[in-house]
Amino acid sequence: MIAAALDPPVAAAGPAVTTFWGVDCGSSEIKVAAVDRGGRVLLLRKQRTLFPLAGHVHRALAGGTGELSPLVDDERVPGAPVGGVPRLLPGQQIHATGYGRSHIEGIHGQLTEIKAHFLGVQHQLQLDRDYTIIDIGGQDAKVIRATPGRVDQFAINRKCAAGTGAYIEELAHRLEVPMQSLPGLAAGHDRELTLNSYCTVFSGQEVIKLLMHGERVENLIYALYRSVVKRVLEMTAISTDTLVFSGGVMNYHPILVPLFAERFGDIKTILAPNAQYCGAIGAAIHGLKEDEENGIHHHQQLRPV
Amino acid sequence: MMRDYFADLGAASRDPARKVAWCTSVGPAEILRALGFAVYFPENHGALLGATRMSSETIPVANAHGYSPEICSYLTSDVGACLKGVTPLTKAYGLEEAPRPDVLVYCTNQCKDVMHWFGWYARRWSVPLLGIHPPTHVAEVRPEHVADVVAQYRHLIVQLEAISGRKLDPAELERAVARSREATDLWEEVLNTGTARPSPLSFFDGAIYMGPIVVLRGTEIAVDYYRALLAEMQDRVAAATAAVPGERKRIYWEGMPVWGRLRHLSEVFQRNRAAVVASTYCNSWIFSDFDPRQPLPSMARAYTRIFINRDDACKEAYLLRLAGQFGIDGIVYHAARTCPNNTNSHYGMPERLRAQGLPGVVIDGDLNDLRCFSDEQSTTVIEAFVETL
Ligand code: SF4
Repeated sequence: MIAAALDPPVAAAGPAVTTFWGVDCGSSEIKVAAVDRGGRVLLLRKQRTLFPLAGHVHRALAGGTGELSPLVDDERVPGAPVGGVPRLLPGQQIHATGYGRSHIEGIHGQLTEIKAHFLGVQHQLQLDRDYTIIDIGGQDAKVIRATPGRVDQFAINRKCAAGTGAYIEELAHRLEVPMQSLPGLAAGHDRELTLNSYCTVFSGQEVIKLLMHGERVENLIYALYRSVVKRVLEMTAISTDTLVFSGGVMNYHPILVPLFAERFGDIKTILAPNAQYCGAIGAAIHGLKEDEENGIHHHQQLRPV
Repeated sequence: MMRDYFADLGAASRDPARKVAWCTSVGPAEILRALGFAVYFPENHGALLGATRMSSETIPVANAHGYSPEICSYLTSDVGACLKGVTPLTKAYGLEEAPRPDVLVYCTNQCKDVMHWFGWYARRWSVPLLGIHPPTHVAEVRPEHVADVVAQYRHLIVQLEAISGRKLDPAELERAVARSREATDLWEEVLNTGTARPSPLSFFDGAIYMGPIVVLRGTEIAVDYYRALLAEMQDRVAAATAAVPGERKRIYWEGMPVWGRLRHLSEVFQRNRAAVVASTYCNSWIFSDFDPRQPLPSMARAYTRIFINRDDACKEAYLLRLAGQFGIDGIVYHAARTCPNNTNSHYGMPERLRAQGLPGVVIDGDLNDLRCFSDEQSTTVIEAFVETL
């Protein structure tokens, strides 16, 4: 649990909510989104996930001087985690998602990443057919089958890092290549190799062995991407004709989109706008929807913590 | 009651005039009781090791002695505990060690790990190892299956008579089977109170309440216990007392409990106002076939017909029937890493049942080996699943 918690400023009847904030507390980055009552995305920002988590979530929410913020002005402490008990400005609501969501106290609601990514994608794309979201994050990968109205089914990768950002990171480290150079290098491949192993450590060993046999780094990186695709598609069968990609990894490694596409005959692929922020946007949208549905303002009911 | 049971086991193992038999959880306990054995169930010990999380210390010991992390973690928890010289029975019931067996009796109706498990003790203590090997994964229990198992029981009885030094009294066996039947019927009624809305009990309560039907079936004590428990559950139903206040969704738990995380998982469901109202696991000790007029054939039928020993078509029909009876919104399948026998999500069952309108989700974990379980991931999967229902 966290030391500091958000303290709603008004216990009695407050003003109508004007801004809904979504926090996606992921394993490597904390993403923040704000939307207004009309669902317009007002702001997106992020920072690395550091500990203590609560302080850094507050800091990510607070933003820098002059930036839009749900917290009262004196809570902005540039360069240091927010201490004390940050207070909300009137008319602000915060909803959280991501692995860290249950460690943030005093927020107005929380939801799983599955639902958050769906809401973020659907809100931005307004799709009118069934589709599948592939969300590759720092420590897990998800395949979400959705209708325009709801999540129908989902799968999360099991047990190990294969097929996730951590897998790419580990192998980039083995190859001694900076992460940002990976897509460029992969484009220079001249041969299709296959990494067979299921496990990050074993894949690392395969890579080392191939390197020792003089394999080009470009080909190994390309193989690494192909193996991410393979691992993700092993999770569940894709039964829709539209694939939407979200999550930070797709953002940094857009080369994955065509690699997924080529595994299917006739499929429409879409890289979600603000792919990395779909979860945060979805969390904010969740707040907006709940507020609209309930017609009451949750923050009025929150006990001060 | 459990304290008395273990105190008696402790006394029996110290008393040279009494004999202790170890028995698998769905083994032929009634025969052992009728022959006067004090009966001890290592799987119950395994569950205690898991629930106390002592298994995290004992499994690695067994692993280091050549018993793989991939095999039954009841086995590795228990064998590791023996090697380490520790037992949760000390703290819970004042027993210094698990009662030493005079004979080990297993039945492979559940798995073959029990044979290897008891085999380890047979070698360690030079104790006879006796097994019943019924036909496995049957679609239906046919007369020839019953005849096969009854013949094995008869052979077993001869061997056990030699160990216990007394002849089996048929009336004693009839009484044991009658008491097992009575207890199991009451247990079924207890579990069926879960059909009420809101349910008065959850799987997580059931996993605790089921102790006596495992270790004391065939005794009057179990009958009394379940009679009292049933009355309590009926009161709760009458008063509409909910196991999960504000129950919104009703879930079926398929597979083993995650013993070291019962509380955590119970809280996850509770938070999401989802009540786990039925489970394969608790239902596995309902033996409606027991018939004191035909003790051996009815035992053969009951112990061969158990869920774990059936083919997938039977299992699916059973799950669909219970889903209807309990008003289930969805199934959570626990894929227990070290018990494929109690894991039913590996061969496409969730997909097949979903196609028949019964959605499900798989969580990865294990009965006792918490190295295979992630709080974070299981929470996300369960919460996201409840969101979709
Ligand atoms: S059924 Fe599973 S948990 Fe039970 S003894 Fe066999 S392997 Fe172990």
